Amino acid sequence: MSRRRRLNDQTAPALLLAMPALLGLLLFILLPFATALVLAFTDLRLGSPLAVNLVGLDQFLYLFNDPDFMRALLNNLLFAAVAVPLQTLLALALALLLNRGLPGTLAFRTLFFMPVVFPMSLVAVIWSLIYAPGPNGMMNAFLQWASFGLWEAKDFLRDPLLAMPAIMLLSIWQGVGFQMVILLAGLQGIPQTLYEAAALDGAGRWRQLLHITLPQLRNPLIFVILVTTILAFRLFDQVQIMTRGGPENATTTVIYETVQAAFARQQVALASAMTVVFFLLVLAITLLQRRFTHHQREVA
Amino acid sequence: MRPGPGSTLMTYLLLAGMAALFIAPLLMMFLGSLKADHRVLLESGSLTAFLPRELSLQNYSDVFRRSEFPRFFFNSLFITSCIVVCGLVVNSLAAYAFARLQWRGRDLLFNLVLALMILPFEAIAVPLFYGASILGLRDTYAVQILPFIANAFAIYLFYSFFIGMPRELEEAARIDGASTLRIFFSIIAPNAKPVFASVAILTFLTWWGSYLWPTMVTIGPTVRPLPVAIASFYTLPPLQWGDILAFGVMMVAPVVLLFVIFQRWFVAGVASSALKG
Amino acid sequence: MRYRIHISKLLSVGLILITLTSGCGKGTDSTADLTLLSVWAHAGQESERSVLQQQVARFNQAHPDIEVQLTLIPEGSYNAQIQAAAVAGELPDLIELDGPFLSAYAWQGHLQPLDDLLDPGLVADLLPSIIAQGSYADRLWAVGVFDSGLGLYADRAKLNQAKLRIPTLQQPWSLQEFETALGQLAMKDPDGRVLDLKLNYAGEWYTYGLSPLLQSAGGDLIERDQLRSADGVLNGAESRAILTRLQNWITGRLIDPNIDDAAFTGRRVPLALGGHWNYRQYRASLGDDLLLLPMPDLGTGSKTGMGSWCWAITTTAANPRVAAGFIAFLLTTEEVLAMANANGAVPAIRSAIDASPRYRAGGPLHLFYQQLDKGHGVPRPRTPAYPIITAEFQGIVDRIRSGSDVAAALDSAVNKIDREIAANRGYPLPGEQQP
Repeated sequence: MSRRRRLNDQTAPALLLAMPALLGLLLFILLPFATALVLAFTDLRLGSPLAVNLVGLDQFLYLFNDPDFMRALLNNLLFAAVAVPLQTLLALALALLLNRGLPGTLAFRTLFFMPVVFPMSLVAVIWSLIYAPGPNGMMNAFLQWASFGLWEAKDFLRDPLLAMPAIMLLSIWQGVGFQMVILLAGLQGIPQTLYEAAALDGAGRWRQLLHITLPQLRNPLIFVILVTTILAFRLFDQVQIMTRGGPENATTTVIYETVQAAFARQQVALASAMTVVFFLLVLAITLLQRRFTHHQREVA
Repeated sequence: MRPGPGSTLMTYLLLAGMAALFIAPLLMMFLGSLKADHRVLLESGSLTAFLPRELSLQNYSDVFRRSEFPRFFFNSLFITSCIVVCGLVVNSLAAYAFARLQWRGRDLLFNLVLALMILPFEAIAVPLFYGASILGLRDTYAVQILPFIANAFAIYLFYSFFIGMPRELEEAARIDGASTLRIFFSIIAPNAKPVFASVAILTFLTWWGSYLWPTMVTIGPTVRPLPVAIASFYTLPPLQWGDILAFGVMMVAPVVLLFVIFQRWFVAGVASSALKG
Repeated sequence: MRYRIHISKLLSVGLILITLTSGCGKGTDSTADLTLLSVWAHAGQESERSVLQQQVARFNQAHPDIEVQLTLIPEGSYNAQIQAAAVAGELPDLIELDGPFLSAYAWQGHLQPLDDLLDPGLVADLLPSIIAQGSYADRLWAVGVFDSGLGLYADRAKLNQAKLRIPTLQQPWSLQEFETALGQLAMKDPDGRVLDLKLNYAGEWYTYGLSPLLQSAGGDLIERDQLRSADGVLNGAESRAILTRLQNWITGRLIDPNIDDAAFTGRRVPLALGGHWNYRQYRASLGDDLLLLPMPDLGTGSKTGMGSWCWAITTTAANPRVAAGFIAFLLTTEEVLAMANANGAVPAIRSAIDASPRYRAGGPLHLFYQQLDKGHGVPRPRTPAYPIITAEFQGIVDRIRSGSDVAAALDSAVNKIDREIAANRGYPLPGEQQP
């Protein structure tokens, strides 16, 4: 009896405590998202004096026949396919190097993590200077020096072939510290005894890495890959500031197209449809990650 | 796994090489901010970029003359602090209710909160922008703060921490007849400082550099935050690299300082985000 | 215990701050008999900005009962910002617009026509190009205090060396002459790249600077009478032919990519397509060797770009007469000259032309004025579809540069433009809107 009363007693205070957060989530996440789902099936344009109509799947059909949007999707996939493995490998390499516990490690960790506290818009501005066209630009000069003068100065951000790699590079530079720290924490959680046992069995450095470190790091690695992949699909700030999606759509992205549609062209319905596509992508990636993580739990 | 002397040298070489790549842009930015505008680009292609010659603070005073830097800084600080502080309170209270209290509908609601975690802000930016536009809320502080206070991921982080705390902690207080709120503030919260710090730092890192939303909802300089301000300062003719870099240095210096001082917390905060999954 | 105080304090401080500030940041509506006039303008060149600020100060000084409040907005997001503000009903009384985007605002009903608000004498003094770009659906919606000039800058020494005829507005280069000139000049040029089309500018420049070539060749961006379709025009034979030629110039290495923005000032090229804003720097680099030539006649006459920033009164303006008064003030000879001197643009009124050393007869930039006055300027299409037209044309130029198939690029753009127009039901005017 008394136990039951206590249970009942908590419903009121619990709701009270949870209410502000739940209200916020409802008003600013659930409701807008539901709105996007509805708007995607209309032809709403901000500011248009014309009446709004329900148009069914027209916006989606339009998107999948729109070379710009398809290019944006392709760019995001490309970014994910190239930057995610590179960034993860680099983060892993840095974490492994730092995990040796050599003197000075702290200073290196500080440095590698430093760009993470830089707002992306600032990073984009600084790297615009680094990518300055002509032989005076830092990147051009560096490549010229590294190639013994073979490199011909390029305008990175206006070159359809180089613009995307240029944006990838600075994104990796800015973000790798984040992943590194997570992997480092994962490495430090691996029991030392595992390595000692392996060393007794005569396992070399590479075999230890392959058979102990990587399997033990499985979950942090999957997490890091997930976060970086989703970031690849959220790509916007750098593109907006450095290239505005150009040249020739070489750097346009789903979010850039969405913002262009909603903000620059007032096509709210079309942008909502893009939002839905974007959400489905993120959902797919997340489910994929859940699956992989789950498998591991079953094995363990 | 003791590394031998050869591999130690190798490790240092690799680390030093990477460090050079990481430090070059930072150093160029800092030294460039102290050089005359025309020299910045001219010298960026050679090692003179890293030579501290003929430095002056002229660019810094130019930034104050050409932009409303203090206002932008205040805006960013104010907006981010409000999100962090209000977010800590609101989200930890909700997480407490989910983790430590028995109530009807709890599991259903909590699963809903978990599901919301996968919705990135970009997925709701358009309808939110539409709403802000038709309600006439653009160009205010509120529109840059209110939507971001309640956060599913923060609730989840708090929840994961609270659920692991021993039940005995609050039993005694409950028997003494303390109210739920009182128990939270006097017992739970003081014992959960690490998670408060982690959430605070993650929230700060997320919104301090936020660019997409404020570009859509701010108009003039009144409530413009730093990330938008640097982008518009960059496009404000004439292009003067020294000024731009000085703007950048002033914009990150306080955060870099905070980071260096509280590095342990930053790292712990970031590492804790991997809890998710 | 200490922690408790801490957190609750933080909470209350946060909440108080939010409630205090959520209403702030909006212009504070002021008191008494002072008429407020809110004005938005784009943040242009430093000299332009400061002249505008001085003009506002002068106006406020001269009218103690009026206060003009000026907000400068970054150029990059300017259009999007006003659009969003328009929807929210937050437009100021007076806005500065980029000329070709005007139709969209007018169609959406955000602007008041100026026909009855401006003095007819003042309107008569305006350059015809200003009226043309500011008109939509037979009404005048906006006027600029300056217009733009577009022409070919040339290096006199190199032209003489190649024994080329110096063209005039009465007798511009024909297409054949122009191509011959390029060939002759290329033969004497170290890298063979002799023309700068400012391909480094990108953006709106492509439409502004390069679409006159299209029009001169008999093509266009859209069918001009009904403004309902680009089909058969933008992808018509004339447009395709001239753009293919442009592609050949680029792939044939006649065009300098101008990456460093110094192709002409560094005297790497003898010819540069450019605007009034280039003059000061070009004159400084080339001195007396600098020539300003009319655009070539590629078939239907020499055509040039026109249009720039202009002022419009919004429907939210409570005192349109006061707003019109401010525009009239900006259009006095003195103020027009102050702005034109700051940004080098063509003064919008004839009386100011005569007082401008650069633009009056015999002045070095007189040609810019003549082009506009004699109808060589082609306004960018005055339809609410302009934003998509220009975006698509910029895409076309990008694709042409990279050597893609011209016809395919044009067809894809026409398709998108026509779809957008159809999606808006051809932009019916309020009277002709179907239910």
